[in-house]
Amino acid sequence: MSFKVDLEYPFKRYHCKTQPTKSIVMSSIVIFGGESHPELVKKICENVNIHPSQVTLGKFSNGETSISVGDSVREKDVYVIQSGCGQVNDTFMQLLILISACKSASASRVTAVMPYFCYSRQPDTPYTVKGAPLISKPRETYTFESNPGTPINGGSSTKSNSSSSMTTQRPGADSSFKSLNTTIRNTIDLQQPQPSRVQPGVRPVLPTLNNTMSLSRIPIIPGGKVQTPRTSNADAGELFNSQNAGYKLWVVQAGTLIANLLTASGADHVITMDLHDPQFPGFFNIPVDNLYCQPIQMNYIQHHIPDYQDAVIISPDAGGAKRATAIADALELSFALIHKERRSQLLKGPPDATLTSGGALPVSPKPLVATLNFPRNINASSPPKPQISHRHGGDDVNQSKYIQTTMVVGDVRNKVCIIVDDLVDTSYTITRAAKLLKDQGATKVYALITHGIFSGDALNRINQSSIDKLIISNTIPQDKTVQFLGKDRVDVIDVSRVFGEAIRRIHNGESISMLFEHGW
Amino acid sequence: MDRSSEDMSTNSIKLLAGNSHPELAEKISTRLGISLSKVGVYQYSNKETSVTIGESIRDEDVYIIQTGIGAQEINDFLMELLILIHACKTASARRITAVIPNFPYARQDKKDKSRAPITAKLIANLLQTAGCDHVITMDLHASQIQGFFHIPVDNLYAEPSVLNYIKTRTDLHNAILVSPDAGGAKRVASLADKLDLNFALIHKERQKANEVSRMLLVGDVTGKSCLLVDDMADTCGTLVKACDTLMSHGAKEVIAIVTHGIFSGDAREKLKNSRLSRIVCTNTVPVELDLAIVDQMDISPTLAEAIRRLHNGESVSYLFTHAPV
Repeated sequence: MSFKVDLEYPFKRYHCKTQPTKSIVMSSIVIFGGESHPELVKKICENVNIHPSQVTLGKFSNGETSISVGDSVREKDVYVIQSGCGQVNDTFMQLLILISACKSASASRVTAVMPYFCYSRQPDTPYTVKGAPLISKPRETYTFESNPGTPINGGSSTKSNSSSSMTTQRPGADSSFKSLNTTIRNTIDLQQPQPSRVQPGVRPVLPTLNNTMSLSRIPIIPGGKVQTPRTSNADAGELFNSQNAGYKLWVVQAGTLIANLLTASGADHVITMDLHDPQFPGFFNIPVDNLYCQPIQMNYIQHHIPDYQDAVIISPDAGGAKRATAIADALELSFALIHKERRSQLLKGPPDATLTSGGALPVSPKPLVATLNFPRNINASSPPKPQISHRHGGDDVNQSKYIQTTMVVGDVRNKVCIIVDDLVDTSYTITRAAKLLKDQGATKVYALITHGIFSGDALNRINQSSIDKLIISNTIPQDKTVQFLGKDRVDVIDVSRVFGEAIRRIHNGESISMLFEHGW
Repeated sequence: MDRSSEDMSTNSIKLLAGNSHPELAEKISTRLGISLSKVGVYQYSNKETSVTIGESIRDEDVYIIQTGIGAQEINDFLMELLILIHACKTASARRITAVIPNFPYARQDKKDKSRAPITAKLIANLLQTAGCDHVITMDLHASQIQGFFHIPVDNLYAEPSVLNYIKTRTDLHNAILVSPDAGGAKRVASLADKLDLNFALIHKERQKANEVSRMLLVGDVTGKSCLLVDDMADTCGTLVKACDTLMSHGAKEVIAIVTHGIFSGDAREKLKNSRLSRIVCTNTVPVELDLAIVDQMDISPTLAEAIRRLHNGESVSYLFTHAPV
């Protein structure tokens, strides 16, 4: 896309506010925007007080990305803004080509600005329900039950699931993958899947698996079994497990690769926001500035959530606890954690043994356990405990089984809950968390998210979930989200000022550490 | 010597394939008698590519087959390839060879205007960064692209297969070879020498990329069966216009022979309405055209033989002149 130069713009700007006059140093900044998020590019440029430079982005008819840089970049300080959203691989390639074009056109420094860093979080288990290659068709209703269900408050989760849905086996154990696959297929109850990318004249992908598998990409079937038409779910599992049961299936983590590719294309510096892994900058050999959305989020809580002093900050999983506690500490709010665990030992030992993970965290003064409908006998008069619910679904105890428990560690009854997470993709985690919180007596559930990818039918799920308000940053375009959920239910917080200020400071060689604390 | 042969015995070929061209991968696998490794390449719902490795490739000689194709998916396939290479690298493969029959972005190989990206060079860098040790490709648009790499590149030729095709499937006595542009003259001249045929050349004046304005024919094609040879057919604008030019100069028939049949955009319509009597391409990329005039040559034996020779440390140069049957 190309940006038209709005001649009036700087004057408007000067009229409404006194701006520092454009120094000579400032003029050596060049900002290019990728195709992924033109709106954010525009906003960041407004904050830096320059125009985005001319670049024509497109595709050749054979699909190859085409780029033509319109403005000179010789000896300039170039910033390329591209978020890792939409057709991720296309936008990422576009970024790489743009960086290399600037570099080969003698730019003095090229900085990749990636508000959302693609491939920064990849699930490490194959075929999990979350983020799996399986894309289900948007459904009419969702249960938001964790899998397995969480029978609380009179067994709100129906016992409809087959017992197999509650037990998954460790991938990599002998003959496990087949059953894992089958289990998951059965569990998520896929209907007709939706291909991720429908196009006319698509090549017939080999081999034709069953309906469930024919979406998106089909694995190449090894062992010359391609010609065999696949008919049942289990066959896809056999694919990996028929011959070498001993090898533990693993999923490639592309983080290092992405870092190296960026460096190889010529990037000298990376600016991003709320990386999922704090270790991620270590994959690079170039400086990475990881900005935080937290100051803006805190600002939102203070100004837009009524009686936030009594609210509880919730981390929807153990991994995000640190992020959530940081906000809770800064605002002096209480904190609770939703913990999901898989245990093989649950059946052994006294039931109490599984309920001791509360530690020093605040627990409810009222024993809510009494209201829970446990399948096993738990003494209702037992001392206050983290509210836990578990369900085990195996009749066959001989096999090693994993039992999932989901619990809220902390007290949320009659409280406003603010779920804090860095990333929402399929939305399984937060919709389940919201339901659990409401079941535990939360009055209102806010979800405060930095990166909202909302892939598959995530928006549909959120629409039907117990989340009362979704607060999302604009690192990824959220027009669709606002349109789908309605303006009342979504608030988009703007991060362009943080990025603009970071670009300005990095260009001028100033410290950006104050952005970590104060936001902008 | 004993030690090295011992090493060889523990080190075998592993064939991996992305999703770009399963048929070709299967053909190479059948030809080599080695089944494809258990690797799953998927796309997550958030459009990121995910690769699952299902068998050990430690200390193996890995060949990853992925071609550059797909109007919507070419970048996805590229990322698949890069992630597969990276995966093999982290899984301690001894050597990783990317088999890329149609090298993507090969035409963006020069800075033809200010600040134009040399994407072919970028791709070369990306492949090496991912951990690629060797590249096998076919009929590179410009053979100088080999120089973009710091690793060995084997640029195979479809020419032996094309020669076989011309000898067996066309009217050799009344044929004339035609190059649709000046850039392909060398390719056609080499064929003409080997077949002892005359050749003609079409000079085209380009004003914009993918658009050809005027064509001038150099040489006499009256009454001849013209063999129009090029390295790729993309939007087919050049081919169809060249065909028209040849027919208007009195050619008897026009057969187009190309290595990479990409056929993007409205190529199908153009070919359907053209006066080409046949268009022949290899299977370096999957061809989906359902037109009767499309004919295909199988080059998987060449690729398979190259893999075998590379693995055994034999010379590959035999394949530059001979097509394995």
